[in-house]
Amino acid sequence: MPPRKHGSATYLRISELLYLFMLVFSFYLLLISRTGEARTVWEVLHPLFIPLLFATTFILFIALFTSEKAAYKLLFVIAHSILIHSFFSIIFPAGDLSGQQMVLGRTRLVFDNAVLHGWAPWPMEIQSQVYEWFRGMTFQAALSVVFARMLSVDLLRVHLFLVPVLWSTFIPIATFLTTKALGGNEEAAVLSSLLISAFPYATYFGAISVSDSLGFIFFFYSLYFMLKNLDSENSRIKFFMVAFAFFSFLSHSLTGIISFSFILLALAFKSYRSEKSSPLTAKVSLVISFLLCTSLLPMSFIYVRFINPAYSAIFSLNKLYELPIEKAVGLFFLGELINGFDVKTIILILIGPVIALLSMIYLLIFRRNFNAEFRTHILFLFAAFFIVLIDYRILKLFMFGLPLNEERLWVFQDLLAAPFVALAIYGVFSWAQKFFEAHSTPTVSFVTLKKLRKSSVLRVFGLLLALNILLAGWITVSLSAAYPQVAPLQTTWYELEAVQYIEENTHEKYVVIGDQWTIFAGEVIVGVNNPRAYYFLEYSKTGHDFFVNMTEDPSPTWMLLAMNKTNTTIAYFIVTEPRLDTEEFNNVVSKAKAPENKLTTFYVSDNKKLYVFSYRKE
Amino acid sequence: MRWTLRPSTLERSIVQDKNFLYTIISFSTILVVFFNLTSFHYPLIGVIASIIFFVINTVFLGNAFFEKEPLFFRFVFGMLLFIMLLGFVGWLTLIIYNLDATRVTLVLLVVATSSSLLNRRMKHRHATS
Repeated sequence: MPPRKHGSATYLRISELLYLFMLVFSFYLLLISRTGEARTVWEVLHPLFIPLLFATTFILFIALFTSEKAAYKLLFVIAHSILIHSFFSIIFPAGDLSGQQMVLGRTRLVFDNAVLHGWAPWPMEIQSQVYEWFRGMTFQAALSVVFARMLSVDLLRVHLFLVPVLWSTFIPIATFLTTKALGGNEEAAVLSSLLISAFPYATYFGAISVSDSLGFIFFFYSLYFMLKNLDSENSRIKFFMVAFAFFSFLSHSLTGIISFSFILLALAFKSYRSEKSSPLTAKVSLVISFLLCTSLLPMSFIYVRFINPAYSAIFSLNKLYELPIEKAVGLFFLGELINGFDVKTIILILIGPVIALLSMIYLLIFRRNFNAEFRTHILFLFAAFFIVLIDYRILKLFMFGLPLNEERLWVFQDLLAAPFVALAIYGVFSWAQKFFEAHSTPTVSFVTLKKLRKSSVLRVFGLLLALNILLAGWITVSLSAAYPQVAPLQTTWYELEAVQYIEENTHEKYVVIGDQWTIFAGEVIVGVNNPRAYYFLEYSKTGHDFFVNMTEDPSPTWMLLAMNKTNTTIAYFIVTEPRLDTEEFNNVVSKAKAPENKLTTFYVSDNKKLYVFSYRKE
Repeated sequence: MRWTLRPSTLERSIVQDKNFLYTIISFSTILVVFFNLTSFHYPLIGVIASIIFFVINTVFLGNAFFEKEPLFFRFVFGMLLFIMLLGFVGWLTLIIYNLDATRVTLVLLVVATSSSLLNRRMKHRHATS
C-alpha cells in the first residue's frame, strides 16, 4: 500500500475519532435506556438513539470506503456489531424473555454445582443422557460456566453477553473471509462484514444467548473452509472444515447437520470439478449428492426418535389438505411471513436474500468468464442456498411434530446471502462510478480526488453519500424487524428482586409456586428444578396446576402438596399484578391475606405489584 | 536494542516463548484465577488474569495453525480455536463430573498445556520445513 499523505491521514483519523465518539455515545444512550419494566426495547429506547445509530453507521460506511487498513475497518465493524446485538442484554435486566432464559435456567444448575454430568437433574436412560450431552445446551453451559469462573463474575452477565460478543466478533470476519473466497476484493469483503447486520433474523439470533447462535458461528467458519477446500488439497483446511462442523453440531444439532450436509455437497462439487472423463456421470452424481444433502435435515428429524422417543416428527400431507389453497401457496412462497407480519417487516426480511439470489444468478450467467476461477464456489453456495430454501419448505409444509420452529433456517439463508449482497452493491457502485467516469476504484483517496475535475469530485461524493445514506438507513431500519415490536412483559425488576429476596432469606429447601413468568425470573437467580430452590419447569403442567389452584383458593393445601412433591420444607406463592389483571390480583391477595388461610406475607415489592406468601411445613 | 510494545513484537515474543516464560505466565494466571475463585472473588483480578491467559494462549494457537495468515486474522482464528478448546475441555469435564472451582482450574491447565505444546511442536515443524 502506498504511504498515506499527511493530510489524508489526518482526515481519516478525525473521521475515525468521530465514529468512536458516536459509538461510545450510542452505548451510553443504550445504557440509560435500561429499564426493569417493559415489553419491547422500542418502548424504552432513548429517542436520540436511532438517529445517532443511523449517523454512526453512516460514518462507518464512509470509513469503509477509505484507504484504511482492513484490520482496522473490521475492528470498527465489530464494535458496531456489538452495539447492534446488545439491545436485549443492556436494556433488560434479565435479557430477552425467550429461549435464552431457559438456557440460563439450566446453566445455573451447573454453575451452582446442583447437577452432575450436565442437565438433567433427574435420572435418565443412557441414550437420553447422551442426547442431552450433544444437545448444545451442555456445550454452551460449559463455556459460560468456565468464563464466569475465570472472570469471577455472576453467570447472568456472562450468559447475557456470551453470544452478542462472540457473534459480533466472529460473524463479520467470517462474512469478510467468505466474500474474499468468492473473489470479492477487500472493499467488497469489508462491506459484507457490515451488511450482515442488515439481516433481521441473523441480528436477532446474534442478540440472544442460545445454543443455535453458537452453532451458526461455527457453521459459518466451516462454510469458509469448505470454500477454501474447493481449490486446495491442504489437509489442514479439510481438518478445520470438519472440526468447525463438529463444533457446530456440539453447539446445536440443526447447525451441525446443515454443516455436515454442506460438507458432503462441497466434496461432491470438488469431485465434479476434478472430473475429466464423463461430464454426464459427473453431473448425475452432483444432482444425486444435492438430493442427498437436501434430505439429510428432514430425515434427521425422523430418526432422532430412536435416541429420544419424546420427539415424534413425521412426514405428512395433512397440512396441505387442511390449509386453504391461497394459504398453502402463500406458505410455499413466503413461509411464516404470511402470518401476521406487516409489509415493512416482510420487505426487510426478504430484501437481502432476494438481492443475493439475483446476484448469484447474475454472476453465474452474465459474468461466466470473469468469475471462471470462482465459478465452482459460487455454484456451490447457490446450491447450498437452494438446499436451505427447499428444506424450509419441506419442514414447513410436509412435516409435523418438529422439535423447533422452521424459521431458524432463515439464518442460514442470511449468512449465505450477505457476501452476495455485498458483491452486488459493490458491483453496482463500481459500475456507477465508471458511468460517471469519475474514478477507477471505489476506495476514496483524498490524494487521487485532488487530481479530478471539480465536477467529478462532486459526482463521486454525491454517489458515495447516496450509497452510504441508503445502506446506513437499511441497517438502521432493519433493526425494527430484528427486535420484536410486540412481546409479553419482560422479566421485571420486582420479580427478580422477589426471587433474590427469597433466595437470600431462606436457609432450607424451598419450592416456589408461580406463573411461568415467575419461573423465568427464578431461572435467572437459581435455575429450574434446583433441588434446593425448586422452581417447576417453564411448561410443567404440575407447576401450572399448582399456580391456578392457588389463585382460585390460596390455602396451605396446595403448598403442602407442592412441598411433599418436591421434598422441601417451605413453600412460597408469588403473585404479580401485571401478569394477572388488577381485579384478579387484588382478589387473590386479599384471599391469601385472610387469617384463616394461615399464609404469611413474606415479601411485598415497593410498588405493591408483587406479593410473596409463604407457608412452612410443621 | 530498543524493545517497543507493538502487537507484532509482542506476538513474536510470545511465540518464541523463551525459557517457557509465557507458558509460566499462563500457568501463573491460572493460579491467580484459582485463588480468586476460592478466596477473594474480585472481578477485576479475574478479568485481568483472564485477559493475560486469553492473549497468550490465543497467540499460541493462532501461530500453531495459521502462521501464514496476516497478524489480525491469525489472532482471530487463534481466539476462535481457544474458545473451542476451552468449551470442548469444559464440556468433557462437565459430562464426566461437574465444573466446580477445582475442575475449572483443571480445564484451564489442560488448555494452557495443550496450547503451549502445540505452539512448540508447530514452531519446530515450521522451522524444519
